[in-house]
Amino acid sequence: MTAAAAFEKVEKTYKIGTLGRTGVPALRSVTLGVPTGSVFALLGPNRAGKTTLIKLLLSLSAPSAGVITRLGAPLGDRRTLARIGYMHENHAFPRYLTAVELLGFYGGLSGVPSAILTARTEQLLTRVGLADRRDEPIARFSKGMVQRLGLAQALINDPDLLILDEPTEGLDLFGRQLMRQVVREFKAAGKSVLLVSHVLTEVEELCDRLAVLVSGKVVHQGLVAELLLDKAGKKRTLEAALKPLYEKEVAA
Amino acid sequence: MTPAPTALRTVRWMVRDTFRQSLYTKLFWVMLGLTGLCTLFCFGVEIDAPPERTREPGEIRDRVNPNITPESERNPGTPVIEGHVRLGFGLFEFPIGKSRTDSIRLLQLWLAGILADTAGVLLALLWTAGFLPTFLEPQAVTVLLAKPVSRWAILLGKYFGVVFFVGLHAILFVAGTWIGIGSSTGIWDVSYWFAVPLLVLNFAVFYAFSAFLAVCTRSTVVSVFGTLLFWILCWTMNFTHHRVIGFDVQGLTPMSHFLLDAGYWLLPKPLDMSGIFFEAMNARDYSAPVPELEAVRMRDAFYPELSVFASLAFAVGVLAIAAYEFRKMDY
Repeated sequence: MTAAAAFEKVEKTYKIGTLGRTGVPALRSVTLGVPTGSVFALLGPNRAGKTTLIKLLLSLSAPSAGVITRLGAPLGDRRTLARIGYMHENHAFPRYLTAVELLGFYGGLSGVPSAILTARTEQLLTRVGLADRRDEPIARFSKGMVQRLGLAQALINDPDLLILDEPTEGLDLFGRQLMRQVVREFKAAGKSVLLVSHVLTEVEELCDRLAVLVSGKVVHQGLVAELLLDKAGKKRTLEAALKPLYEKEVAA
Repeated sequence: MTPAPTALRTVRWMVRDTFRQSLYTKLFWVMLGLTGLCTLFCFGVEIDAPPERTREPGEIRDRVNPNITPESERNPGTPVIEGHVRLGFGLFEFPIGKSRTDSIRLLQLWLAGILADTAGVLLALLWTAGFLPTFLEPQAVTVLLAKPVSRWAILLGKYFGVVFFVGLHAILFVAGTWIGIGSSTGIWDVSYWFAVPLLVLNFAVFYAFSAFLAVCTRSTVVSVFGTLLFWILCWTMNFTHHRVIGFDVQGLTPMSHFLLDAGYWLLPKPLDMSGIFFEAMNARDYSAPVPELEAVRMRDAFYPELSVFASLAFAVGVLAIAAYEFRKMDY
């Protein structure tokens, strides 16, 4: 089966300082795959390289070394981006757009035909609970409302791969339930989700596979269910399972 | 989906987005308000020009301004008119020494060539200089860059969006003032419409540099002040080049000459654009040309087509560098 996303010996070093002469490694020889149809969690402490990995997958940054494939195609094929939905925690959408205009704008750029776009916009606004605020500028929206609009934006092109970078940050109870519902629907439809989250209960509940990044390296990858059992076969929490893995950063 | 329709679709979406941005930031209404004021001002133009008489010897120095009066009109024996032009519904009144038609054409030359082409273009540059840096902030643009469209199309779309926006206001300004003056005086000079391409071209060339600064620095402050300094540099370079060449200024080293020539040909040429507009309006009949421009013209050292081409080449080159930088930039 084709992987929804695959990374092979991927490295990323950011150039900083005058003339970019200082290199700061963000990813070191990362090899992992997100199987199609899986809900895959990318975990790790702050500054582990999770967001960098997603940026590489979305062609927001270029890898320093290694090979990345996206929905079975190399990164250079930008057409695959039309089949990806992306949402992240602190996105600043243009404040001058209304909710309807925003979905029209991003959907249009994703290549969604206008007839489908109009119907899907109304459907998604109703789904995220913003139908009554459809013609208001985003400048008047609360953080939670912007997050919900961000989710609608990620779904506007009916993607095959949904990438969620700390999606529940700032969401209320309704928003969180909605997010979980969307992820479950993706899984049921055989589509893929790549989730970055620090909310471990959410990961336990939703994800079937995970990878743990620490200081730019993959220190563990496999099934979530496996990690929830200790060596003696006893059930444990994800937090207890991750603690020794995260401590590798301290040791490093 | 072929790349060309995708790029065109992206440019179209970005143009639309820029108009929304201009409406939200109230810039659209501010510029429309200024155009409205100028139009109102033009509706209040009145000209009182009695029959002409012959200019008498000796009166020339007292009555004409050599900066705006052509050589032919300064000589004794030429026809002279002693009338008045009233602007702003009689708020301001000035003496005139020209026919009604020439007085109106001079007013139009000032409106387009001085008010709109210098103050107007500069204000438009400063007001729109923040559009791209705001748009390119990492938090604002990452989702957009994760769409299946090329970065150069996004950048060009935003650039053309701003140029179309200013172009629309240039059309509104010229149409409004043309109708205002025409209605109040009955003089409808079509050559005034040459102001539209002049204004759009001048703005487009300078805005390309502003876009370059925005991509490289993502800073509104740098874009605003950098564009202002660049605008001053280009006017200064253009004037200095023509003064040195036209009046054969001595004492410059060969290296200084080379640098002046290189700077002149590399940079946009706003003074040359004004000169081209001056000729397009046949303004030589009723106004004195800029001395520096006239001097290079007399020496056959003024090449209007090359000047326009070089200015456009500058804009294309700078935009290409900006697009290249934007394409390889990490977000």
